[in-house]
Amino acid sequence: MTSLENQIRNSARKFLEDGQVSCVIGYERDARGRARPAFIVKADDTERLIWDSDCSLNLVNYLHSRKSPPGKDQPIPKTAVVVRPCDVRAIQLLINEQQLKRENIKIIGITCAGTDINHQLRTECEFCQERIPLIYDVLVEPEKPVELPASQDAYADIEEMESWSSEERFDFWTKEFDRCIRCYACRQACPGCYCFECVAEQVDPHWTSIALEVPEKMFFHVMRAFHLAGRCVGCGACEAACPMNIPLGKLNRKIAKEILELFGYHTGDNSENLPPLVCFNPDERLKI
Amino acid sequence: MPNQFEPKIVSFLCNWCSYAGADLAGTSRISYPQNIRIIRVPCSGRVDPLFVVKAFLDGADGVMVLGCHPGDCHYQQGNYIAQRRYSIMHRLLEFTGIESERLFVDWVSASEGKRFAEVVTAFTERVRNLGPLPLIGTKKLSKEKFQEVAS
Repeated sequence: MTSLENQIRNSARKFLEDGQVSCVIGYERDARGRARPAFIVKADDTERLIWDSDCSLNLVNYLHSRKSPPGKDQPIPKTAVVVRPCDVRAIQLLINEQQLKRENIKIIGITCAGTDINHQLRTECEFCQERIPLIYDVLVEPEKPVELPASQDAYADIEEMESWSSEERFDFWTKEFDRCIRCYACRQACPGCYCFECVAEQVDPHWTSIALEVPEKMFFHVMRAFHLAGRCVGCGACEAACPMNIPLGKLNRKIAKEILELFGYHTGDNSENLPPLVCFNPDERLKI
Repeated sequence: MPNQFEPKIVSFLCNWCSYAGADLAGTSRISYPQNIRIIRVPCSGRVDPLFVVKAFLDGADGVMVLGCHPGDCHYQQGNYIAQRRYSIMHRLLEFTGIESERLFVDWVSASEGKRFAEVVTAFTERVRNLGPLPLIGTKKLSKEKFQEVAS
């Protein structure tokens, strides 16, 4: 047990014993030795909680199931959640979109040294300058502070792709999307994808067929990326959940890059500013 | 030229300005290319990017979205929202390898019949030069092939 795990368990135990929350959402080890989400409701079960670089899912996603009262005249349940700095931005986003209330969540923020996908450090983590969550109730700190990476060009791989020809990019994405099995794991893992009925499954109007063809897959992924424009926090949960290892983060990061350039907006900086695509400025004239 | 590629262009025209502009072009007997298929929408802000991607997916070679000039929107703000949306959509399409030139967003007012014809002519020429969208060619089972296999 590492010191980080110890701190997580202690704060989870305290939250549960004091009755501040009815559930702590964290990570536990599954039978195959991988990290999976754990929902702890008893103080004694907090010993199951873990933290390592395999914890690459965004647990904020599970707050959606706890945002409304379980029954009539009952209060909204209070929940504690173990989050990385990028995940906290998703909490800010959901507060902004009036999905969550800050007072119903206890944030166990982790000083994050980066997480892995398929035993490789995530692309975002290679450049990430934000190792401490913006907001938290308890901060889990290592003995030594996390060293910040020297390289700050977070969009180097996107810029490289931009320099390709249109055909090269088309071939790249055709090949990547061809592998997609349309399991929608990317959508399920995403805290920002919480529509009751997704366009991919809507029957009336029937936007897209269930065919496993590239145009249909491209439609789904382009639309998903666009619905997350200005809302994606870059937590990489979609990539971590993808069974076919499609670099979905590239689409989201391309949009994040453009949003930052055009509107100077970085998702989750606070819970007040609206994402740029749902508001407007009458004086601006954009190149379209 | 019998073998010239004729692009299919889907155009979303705002009811209050561009559709009336197209109407004016018609009543003024100004000719413009027949490649465009006009869909009348209440506002350019109604044109969900979903429509645009869906049009490309179903075989359109180019998509046009025309609305009122900024400041003239019948609903005050629809075209401002469309402007922001499509500035991002353009860049996303370009990134996925669909040339952003295939999506055209502009403002045409109800009195600009002549300009409507010019805009449509220029865009049709642009898409004709780009050639057909390769997206449909990626289908493993095209309609023709399916009928061949089924029979």
